[in-house]
Amino acid sequence: MSSNHYFKHEGPWSDAGDPLMCTDTGDWRTKRPVVDKEKCIFCGFCAIYCPIQVMEMQSDTHFEANLDFCKGCGICAKECPKGAITMISEGEFVS
Amino acid sequence: MAEKKQARLTKVLDYLKHDDPFSKGVAFCPGCGLELLLRFIPRVLGNDIVITGTPSCSAPVLLGQNNQSWHTLSYFGTLMTGAAANATGLARYYRKAGIDNTVVCFNGDGTANDIGFGNLSGAAERNEPFIYICYDNEGYMNTGIQKSGTTPFGATTTTTPYGSVHKGKNLRRMNLGLKMAMNKIPYTATATLSDLEDLARKLLKAKEAKERGFCFLHVFAPCPTGWGADPANTIEICRRAVKTNYFPLWEAENGRIRMTKTVKKPKPVSTYTELMKKFNHMTEADIKILQDDVEYEYCLLGGLSVLEAECQLPVSAKDQGEAS
Repeated sequence: MSSNHYFKHEGPWSDAGDPLMCTDTGDWRTKRPVVDKEKCIFCGFCAIYCPIQVMEMQSDTHFEANLDFCKGCGICAKECPKGAITMISEGEFVS
Repeated sequence: MAEKKQARLTKVLDYLKHDDPFSKGVAFCPGCGLELLLRFIPRVLGNDIVITGTPSCSAPVLLGQNNQSWHTLSYFGTLMTGAAANATGLARYYRKAGIDNTVVCFNGDGTANDIGFGNLSGAAERNEPFIYICYDNEGYMNTGIQKSGTTPFGATTTTTPYGSVHKGKNLRRMNLGLKMAMNKIPYTATATLSDLEDLARKLLKAKEAKERGFCFLHVFAPCPTGWGADPANTIEICRRAVKTNYFPLWEAENGRIRMTKTVKKPKPVSTYTELMKKFNHMTEADIKILQDDVEYEYCLLGGLSVLEAECQLPVSAKDQGEAS
């Protein structure tokens, strides 16, 4: 079996051709960080303290979490000096 | 809310010169302090480092699983009893072959302080040219939160539970950093994740000092799962550990201790213990014991750093210290 159909990012196991193993850590999340672009002062504290390093720069204006891998720990929301990040339950986003 | 977008990025990003060698989705718990540290080290030191490590929380990720790897670094997995000895072999090989390389021995507090301490001590005595990084999560977290030598007084773990007989760990924790500084190795430092600039500076200093011999870094990395803490509080725990002098930040070059961060008005240690469940049961008297212990260690450290300034070292020892 050369491909894995269960996960978006998980590579086929025992395949030396696949360079790096990667798990869909995004589906562990129960709360999602939502960045208020108006409040964000682009200081970068969320980016440096994020253990997974998923806070990505968006054209020098604000940071946005890569939701494919964000585990939803909430460190960014806690460390943001302006309180620009709120953790919102994933249930709110189910359509 | 008008004039707000001044792009004044934190200085820490300047230290992150290299790429992140780890894949994005890595199997660490949410809010893991170790993951932040592990991604931080190669981004500061460069991706050409060789990491050696032992069975620990870091091993499943560093070693890889099922013929596949989580990262692009070189890794050498060894036993807990021989961590520093294996790193010695690697470092000596690179030195003899004339290859400029940095060997990082990356272990938890269980290996550094308990099981592999004999090796560590020996490597420090022989002044081997590598960097030993101990991430201190105050217990054997990977095997199910057992107590270790650095578990503080009163903390509940699965081997020091809270019940009618036992009230958490009834022994004091050991100060590993200070023990290593006493070996007069080229560089010893303590660091934590709330002050990443300080951590990056110490890592770079260690890389430089490694040319002269053994370097030891003791990094305080909270474990939200094992400590019963909110994952969001990981950085806050580190910050409060520094503010209460529970984990003071200092560095020692050739055994000369210098504080890198002094807290003017230390907060009581209860502001630190309230953040996690492992200290929940502690009474006033227990907190007092922990507070006394913290103050004792800080006094010792303060005394040693003052001693450096006030005490005139014998000339021969001073020369030796600067030359080695």
